Amino acid sequence: MTDVAGAGAFTVEVDQNSYLPAGASRVDAVVTVTAADAAAAPAPASEVLEVIVVDCSTSMTGSKIRAARQATMAAIAELRDGVSFAVVAGNHVAQQLFPPVGTVVANAGTRTTATRMVERLQADGGTGIGAWLTHVGGLARQHPGSIKHAIVLTDGQNGESAEYFANALNGVLGTFTCDCRGVGTDWRVDELRTIATSMLGTVDIVADPADLAADFRSIMGEAMGKSVADLALRLWTPRGATVRFVKQVAPTVEDLTDRRTEAARQSGDYPLGSWGAESRDYHLAIEVPAGGVGDEMLAGRVSIVRPGPDGAEEVLGQGLVKAIWTEDTALSTRISRGVAHYTGQAELAEAIQEGLAARKAGDEATATARLGRAVALAEASGNEGTARLLGRVVEVVDAPSGTVRLRKAVADVDEMTLDTRSTRTVRVRGDG
Amino acid sequence: MSENTSAPAAAACPRCREPVDGHRFCENCGHDLWLRRGGAARAPSGPCPGCGANGTNTPNGFGVDEAGEDYCSTCGIRRDDGTEHIEADLGQVAGVSDRGLVHAHNEDAMAVGVLAAPDGQALVAAVVCDGVSTVDAPELASRAGADAALERLLHPSGPDMSKAVEEAADAVAALVDGSHGHFRNPPSCTLVAAVVDPGPEDGVSITVGWVGDSRAYWLAAPDAAEPARLLTVDHSWATEMINSGTLDAETALADRRAHAITRWLGAGGEPHPEIVTIRPAGPGLLLLCSDGLWNYYPGAEELAEVALSTLARGGPVAVARELTTIALNAGGRDNVTVVAVPVGPWDERGTP
Repeated sequence: MTDVAGAGAFTVEVDQNSYLPAGASRVDAVVTVTAADAAAAPAPASEVLEVIVVDCSTSMTGSKIRAARQATMAAIAELRDGVSFAVVAGNHVAQQLFPPVGTVVANAGTRTTATRMVERLQADGGTGIGAWLTHVGGLARQHPGSIKHAIVLTDGQNGESAEYFANALNGVLGTFTCDCRGVGTDWRVDELRTIATSMLGTVDIVADPADLAADFRSIMGEAMGKSVADLALRLWTPRGATVRFVKQVAPTVEDLTDRRTEAARQSGDYPLGSWGAESRDYHLAIEVPAGGVGDEMLAGRVSIVRPGPDGAEEVLGQGLVKAIWTEDTALSTRISRGVAHYTGQAELAEAIQEGLAARKAGDEATATARLGRAVALAEASGNEGTARLLGRVVEVVDAPSGTVRLRKAVADVDEMTLDTRSTRTVRVRGDG
Repeated sequence: MSENTSAPAAAACPRCREPVDGHRFCENCGHDLWLRRGGAARAPSGPCPGCGANGTNTPNGFGVDEAGEDYCSTCGIRRDDGTEHIEADLGQVAGVSDRGLVHAHNEDAMAVGVLAAPDGQALVAAVVCDGVSTVDAPELASRAGADAALERLLHPSGPDMSKAVEEAADAVAALVDGSHGHFRNPPSCTLVAAVVDPGPEDGVSITVGWVGDSRAYWLAAPDAAEPARLLTVDHSWATEMINSGTLDAETALADRRAHAITRWLGAGGEPHPEIVTIRPAGPGLLLLCSDGLWNYYPGAEELAEVALSTLARGGPVAVARELTTIALNAGGRDNVTVVAVPVGPWDERGTP
């Protein structure tokens, strides 16, 4: 049941064409979830945990370890008083740098000590990202109910077996959110993307170590602004319906379909992680039993829920997805701007990733076709950031038609940047 | 949903089923046998019409979900609340009220009645109320207002428009103290009411009273003795700005406050009606409607053209249906309520 205190803390707006032609059963909607002012205030510092994991493997030697030290110190400086934190040095194992064990509450004294410890950070050993995540998971479990966030920085490929890493990742799912940063160009985009997607965080490339401090500062600033932890999108669907997919589509494309856990009757929960003063868009596709002409059906009810103190849950906002069957083709052929736009943005991310994979595999025809399609989609949707990145990998002959030529020499950094940022979307034009 | 529309002199009392004779009131239960009304409908009860599921935790035991929504919690089919489309046809007066295509509920209400003396012509009364959609439970206000006004207009002591509006305002105000729970924004509504008195001695007279922006029109053929026109003046921001000369029509209507009403029944409202009486020189049709119709078709001539040709084919209920349909076809962005009362002699072709 809706808790009065929590109700309305989030607005849930639905963009869809609810009119379907006779016999149709697929319902698409874009749902915009926004924290209302009251819900957007940062959580009390005592309910926040921050862990910074810095790669200290041998490959970090030189300018990278110096930049990593600077970045970590910049992030420490951003910690609010009262927040619990820890700094972890990662190589083939996770070593607690500060405090010696567990976590410590941030204040002027602990920040200074932590900074001093970071100054001594040395590069030595291998890279064991699964071990790092397991260690952070252990710290996070000591802070139930808090907003738990980690930054993971690495410059290289994971040295663990795929199976070990997969088990480690599985073991920490849902225990904290994690933003991943790859420094240089020797790390693997798919590795870090897997972590970021699983842990409901972001992934980005920091090609120049000198930019690392500014990036860490901004990640930490954003993390400090989070107000609620462990939100879920609960989707109720009618009996006989199938959820085709649930995707976050802004600010980035993240497919949540397989993250469903069954909740109340005919309902499933999709994890959203923690939330601050922000707005995200989700694209839902639901297959419902077709109704008769004139029927109106509730095809889905989207609730934003938060686990409450004593096992109770709070519903913070709600939106309805509807289906109305009509013989009026003027109504049923209308296209929802949001649905069309984000269908294009999801295809854009896919086209880039497939195009780059084909290029790597030496399949120039597929690479040209897919990256050309990406150029056309980026152009049509006004995604200028992605269009610019595409321009460094292909030579654009005609953007609207997607006519491109592969560039002969492409810097690794350009290719990795395009890959990493392929999931970034823009909102519908005119929405600012 | 109209009640029985058979002739007043029914063989059995519609309430207690006792046989009745020519008396006005039932000798058994006291029911007023001359009064027929239609309008406010009740939500149906029973299992979900879509999947047969029985609801739980709902006041009416219907197959809706715990949140009290309009959809079945099992199959999702929308549950009608009985007001999606209402028709009332009493022969001499007919009305249609429709949810429209955009609003989740019909917050309009209508009440129509005929008080027929066995030896004379019938007194016809009709009321249309439009619930203010920014308040809590506007449909309660419009139903209470419409019912109370009709009750007074067909009171045995004779119609009194001023009292009818007063009693409607009281009925809406009383909702706050009623059993409906606490309102953060108490319900309110507009009202337009009319009574058509056949006046055996001095000819037909029509008295119209209104509060807010629901309208009454006199509709007649282009060359009629009594020309077609709007009988009411909206109590709205734009109309007041235009009529006071403060703004020109274009500027006033473009303002976002244009449709804000300046008088209403209910909390914080100015419930005083304007009242006009006309004695039409020739036949025509009296039309009451909510802004769900006139927002699309404000012109009396335009409405008359549609209404009079339809009246010829199917009587007042066809007029109400046709005008509702054209409002829905034009977009149906609001609830639509249309009541039609033909006035004066009509031959079988529907022309005066």
